[in-house]
Amino acid sequence: MELITEILNETWDFIVLFLNENIPLIVGSVKAVVIAVAIMSVVPALVWLERRLMGRFQVRLGPNRVGPLGFGQPMADTVKLLFKESIIQSSADKFLFHLAPAVVVITAIVAFAVIPFGEPFEVFGQNIEMWGANVNSGILFVFAISGMGIYGMVLAGLASNNKYSLMGGLRSSAQMISYELTLGLSALSIIILTGSLSLVDMVKAQETLPFILIQPLAFLLFFIAGIAETNRAPFDLPEAEQELVAGFHTEYTGMKFAMFFMGEYINMVTMSALVTLLFLGGWNSYGLPLWPIVAFALKVIFLLCVFIWLRSTFPRIRYDRLMTFGWKVLLPLCLLNLLITGTLKVI
Amino acid sequence: MLEIATVFDFTHDMVILVVGLTAVLASLGVVLCSSPIYCALYLIGHMICLALLFLLYNAEFLAVVQIIVYAGAVMILFLFIIALLGGKKEVQENSLHRSMALAFVFTLLGELYLSATVGPTQQVHGEIPPELFGTAKAIGLELFSKHLVAFELASALLLVAAVGVICLAKFSFAPLRRRVR
Repeated sequence: MELITEILNETWDFIVLFLNENIPLIVGSVKAVVIAVAIMSVVPALVWLERRLMGRFQVRLGPNRVGPLGFGQPMADTVKLLFKESIIQSSADKFLFHLAPAVVVITAIVAFAVIPFGEPFEVFGQNIEMWGANVNSGILFVFAISGMGIYGMVLAGLASNNKYSLMGGLRSSAQMISYELTLGLSALSIIILTGSLSLVDMVKAQETLPFILIQPLAFLLFFIAGIAETNRAPFDLPEAEQELVAGFHTEYTGMKFAMFFMGEYINMVTMSALVTLLFLGGWNSYGLPLWPIVAFALKVIFLLCVFIWLRSTFPRIRYDRLMTFGWKVLLPLCLLNLLITGTLKVI
Repeated sequence: MLEIATVFDFTHDMVILVVGLTAVLASLGVVLCSSPIYCALYLIGHMICLALLFLLYNAEFLAVVQIIVYAGAVMILFLFIIALLGGKKEVQENSLHRSMALAFVFTLLGELYLSATVGPTQQVHGEIPPELFGTAKAIGLELFSKHLVAFELASALLLVAAVGVICLAKFSFAPLRRRVR
């Protein structure tokens, strides 16, 4: 009996010692959990916002029956999706079929890990930073991880064993590769201006003036490419309902279907946050009496509303025009902008 | 940053070991899997593991570039082609060529074992002078003294890959002639 208590005591001491030595580990884990949970619970709210706003844009009310202002609607939808029967057709590749939605969601959440959303502050003598991880090359990290998200769509198309799904998957990979170039190159002009790949440094460089005033063309290009990168209308070719039924997620039901949507909405938030950080000055409020994090959140919400606004305004582009637009219009403009920015920087 | 590195030492080593093992397993999967899609997926996994190793050795930029270039751009084209051509699972067949290849591989392994038992190899001793740092001579000294075995293994691997590509890509004339007759 004594032996057991002794062992227990020693284990307890070891755990306490381990935790004391590894405070960065604890802080990191807590931040990881908070960010992952927060970003996942943003999704239903965003669905609600989108449906309400779309309703207003199309001169109707939108969901307003479940709860006040229809707030219960996303919860009801989530419960429905969770309890729906999951159907997998027998010709599908089971493993890849299950893997694809997971890849989409995981990459979307991981990409958000390096997004900073406020200034560091002190709690209990610990310097808590308002970001998951301060990677030196933060912006490259976001691009790398969101590039991995394409696999989810391609795999979904491949695994479904369905022509429409395959077409959707191929389209999405082609589209995202094409527009990733524009995205990267227009971000490169900001990298040239700040001389750093770190997102925190970029926000610090915009303390007096947001970069949208200095680089309006880069902002426009980045935003357009960002919409295409998140597969939102008018660039939602991979899931064009009229041509491809629903693209790469035609065969998906229940929660797996919802996971694709989760990935899309999280990517939307990440993209809005990225635009805010690069061009709108991040958490700088420019004289307005706002907390840094509130300023940041307001900018992101505004951009999300613009995303929804664009969806309800523009019709979908034809596929060949999408590619032509990406390669023959956006890319040369990007290179031109890069050339001018570089020259001005050197001079 | 230094303090964290010393505190995490044991965990760090374990993580490196696990990631390295996963990388080896994934690369085995690339060779042994018969379905092209899964081969490509194993290759992606392998590249992500390599990026993680870079990250664990504090080479953040290299890790991110590894993911962007290889896992992001090159492999997506692989998958794209597989999706376009339709990846069918290959049927395993036992033939004379297969057994010949196996015999060849085992001969090579035996040779390697023999050469390892003959005696320890002579290493180049001495430090690299600072003025040579980063030059081709310094790289040569490093490569042929400390990393000799890894270097030779890599060259053998490249040779095998070259021979393998020729074997896979060669097209036979015999069936064509038969069809003409």
